[in-house]
Amino acid sequence: MKLSLLKNRLALSYLLLILFTPILSAAEIPVIAAASNIKFALEDIATAFHQETGKSLRISYSSSGNITRQIQQGGPFELFLSANAQYVEQLHQQHKTLDQDKVFALGRLALLSPINSKVILDEQLTGLKQALQAGKLQRIAIANPKHAPFGIAAREVLQKQQLWDTILPHLILGENAAQATQFASSGAAQVGLVSYSLALAPALKNRVRYLLIPSSLHQPLQQTAVLLNNAGDTAKLFFHYLQQEKARGILSRHGYTLP
Amino acid sequence: MDWQALALSVKLSSVTLLFLLPIGILLGRWLAYRQFWGKSLLQTLLALPLVLPPTVLGYYLLVAFSPNQGLGLWLVNTFGTTLIFNFQGLVLASIIFNLPFAIHPMQRAFAAIPREIREAAACCGMRPSLVLWKIELPLAWPGIVSAMVICFAHTLGEFGIVLMVGGNIPAETQTIAIAIYDRVQSFDDHAAAVMSFSLLLFSMLTISFTYWLSARSERTHD
Amino acid sequence: MTDSAIQITLQQASPIPLSVQLECKSGELLALVGPSGSGKTTVLRAIAGLYQAQNAQIICQGEVWQNSMQNIFLAPHQRHVGLVFQHYALFPHMTVLENIQQAITHLPKQQRQTQALELLKKVHLEGLEQRYPKNLSGGQQQRVAVARALARQPKVLLLDEPFSAVDQVTRRKLYRELLVLRESLSMPMILVTHDLDESNLLADHIALLHKGEILQTGSPDFVAAHPKSATIARLMDQQNLFTAQVIAHDQATQKTYLRWRGTLIEATYQAQFAINERVCWMIQSENILLHRRGRPSNGNKENPLQGQITEYMESSGLAHLRVQVDKQLDTTISINVPLHVAKRNALGLHEEIGLSLLSEGIHLMPYQALRSES
Repeated sequence: MKLSLLKNRLALSYLLLILFTPILSAAEIPVIAAASNIKFALEDIATAFHQETGKSLRISYSSSGNITRQIQQGGPFELFLSANAQYVEQLHQQHKTLDQDKVFALGRLALLSPINSKVILDEQLTGLKQALQAGKLQRIAIANPKHAPFGIAAREVLQKQQLWDTILPHLILGENAAQATQFASSGAAQVGLVSYSLALAPALKNRVRYLLIPSSLHQPLQQTAVLLNNAGDTAKLFFHYLQQEKARGILSRHGYTLP
Repeated sequence: MDWQALALSVKLSSVTLLFLLPIGILLGRWLAYRQFWGKSLLQTLLALPLVLPPTVLGYYLLVAFSPNQGLGLWLVNTFGTTLIFNFQGLVLASIIFNLPFAIHPMQRAFAAIPREIREAAACCGMRPSLVLWKIELPLAWPGIVSAMVICFAHTLGEFGIVLMVGGNIPAETQTIAIAIYDRVQSFDDHAAAVMSFSLLLFSMLTISFTYWLSARSERTHD
Repeated sequence: MTDSAIQITLQQASPIPLSVQLECKSGELLALVGPSGSGKTTVLRAIAGLYQAQNAQIICQGEVWQNSMQNIFLAPHQRHVGLVFQHYALFPHMTVLENIQQAITHLPKQQRQTQALELLKKVHLEGLEQRYPKNLSGGQQQRVAVARALARQPKVLLLDEPFSAVDQVTRRKLYRELLVLRESLSMPMILVTHDLDESNLLADHIALLHKGEILQTGSPDFVAAHPKSATIARLMDQQNLFTAQVIAHDQATQKTYLRWRGTLIEATYQAQFAINERVCWMIQSENILLHRRGRPSNGNKENPLQGQITEYMESSGLAHLRVQVDKQLDTTISINVPLHVAKRNALGLHEEIGLSLLSEGIHLMPYQALRSES
């Protein structure tokens, strides 16, 4: 008897749940996509934006190439902050974009290793060469050049210093700029050639050592913002906000060069 | 602790269960009771997600529902929505991926009911829907509960497919498993640790509870 | 045919061959008898609607349950059948009372309990309402199954070897209970069994089933005494089965004469067999007289035979003898006598005795090769 009563109650709640599921759908805050190297800078900018306008955004981070693919497949993003201009160009040609794009910052690379590592970090990467020859360097982390612009830049730098072929067997690829940094900072890789902005992250303070790489060693990492076809008012507002005083200040503090 | 991501994960698991319960019961029962041409082919198809890498399923879902052609395009034109990069898409992927975990235990549970008992019920004057409600479901209940437990836990931890067809959108497709991944990449080890441990606890509690429940009903229904 | 409560006709060639025509009156018990695999359970399931035969007609108490030609087929829950399964098929997750109540669909909730309790009383299971099937003995489970079948107020009661799963003592008790219960039941009853003693005890009529075909129907005594063929005689467990040749018929004396093993045998007049035709014949033990030692009588004169006892077994107050009457050809006759008769005549192994075959007990059947004869 008791069991059948329980069963009836369950059946009723089950029915109610099914009926009300549509109502429980996600909030309607606009979604934007950003390359993961810009994470910490963007969080600060978004907070400032919210304080000034009262509007909120949801941000999805991934590698620029991955985001481009998602946009091609109909991803619901209204604004795209890419780590280079080429991916945005691709989207222009596929008519996924609303307007002109804007290069709002220039990214920089940094050599990074855990704080107690003995590897010498220098601009010519001689310290790296030495450590390699001495057999002290097993793994080096960069973002995956296949779909992360910071990885492409890292490869350029290594090629310029004639280290690419030697380093190739020791390379581990982060799925995006952030993961590459995480590999290097945690010690999974002894060294990483990663986004400077991420190396500056407060969370990594006192955990890592880093060195800024001259921008002459690689093609400029043009951080490009573009509105997408379904961009709403908030996204458009944010697009402009990015180019203004406050946002530029934040970008600068996080290690980006301003155009 | 990313409460939003946790709530999303629980919601995803629950909604998946809501669909899988009737699907599992109907399909599991059908497969348990009937022989028909093509049955082994169907069973193979239904068992595929057991061995299929999640990325393969994710890939096929992306291809199928891409709004630029075919089914995806039709969906956009007809309903104005897609089945990727949103919660509904995750539910669909989740249902497909959990089919064998739902169907196999339920099929076994129904097959274990002696045919004579169902026949005796019919001879008592019960029409088939009543036989299902009063006889088959109570006897198959432990198997059904086990199936639901496994599906819930499995969905809670699902990562590969969610990553591929989800788009990592907070409050929409950023499940707790993704959130943990996200925190690690943000160098927020503390948050990652807190969430991982909470998830571990939550999973253990859920499984213990449902095993207790099924053991209890087994005692009554021997 | 018309005053029968249930009429069944089943014809099909495959997958299970069936050739059945049966009927049973209200209050009567028909036993479907046959060896395993003969199709008895299939027939029962067809009556219940659990099996759909290809060409069938089943009419019960005026309701057409199946008519293949008119495409009528009622599902089991639409027929009012009471079926007692071989292993009872009680619902394991319900108490005894709940099990029975499932079949009482025609009463409102409150009255169901009262009705169920009454049925329990009828099968002598008062006090066991709240028990679960797993806590019941085999005999108790069977009674619950019967009560549940009756709770349906069925138009026909079907029993599928319901006594096969219990021990002999319990079985005897259940036989007695069924016989008593029968008195109060007004529906036709069909019992499936492979046990001839059971069918002899319980049934008004039997139908002998062999490979899906009904070979003979009739009262148990009649079929045992007058099987239509040697196959049927075998199925009825007749021991004394032989071949012979018809020599002559004498209508005046109402005798038919046979030659059997060089001996002349007198049987009752059965002129349907031609002169010189080979036949099979049988005689039941109750139609064989033992010649009493030292006290010859007139009865000894009918078909007298001399022989030696080659087997002697005592059980349940009877002595089972096998008497070899033809030394060269190893022909034996089986006879059962009460134990006190065997003792009085000092019967035992290797004893020489005389037998008389009563001519009215000699039953002729069409010839077929018998394995037992060389």
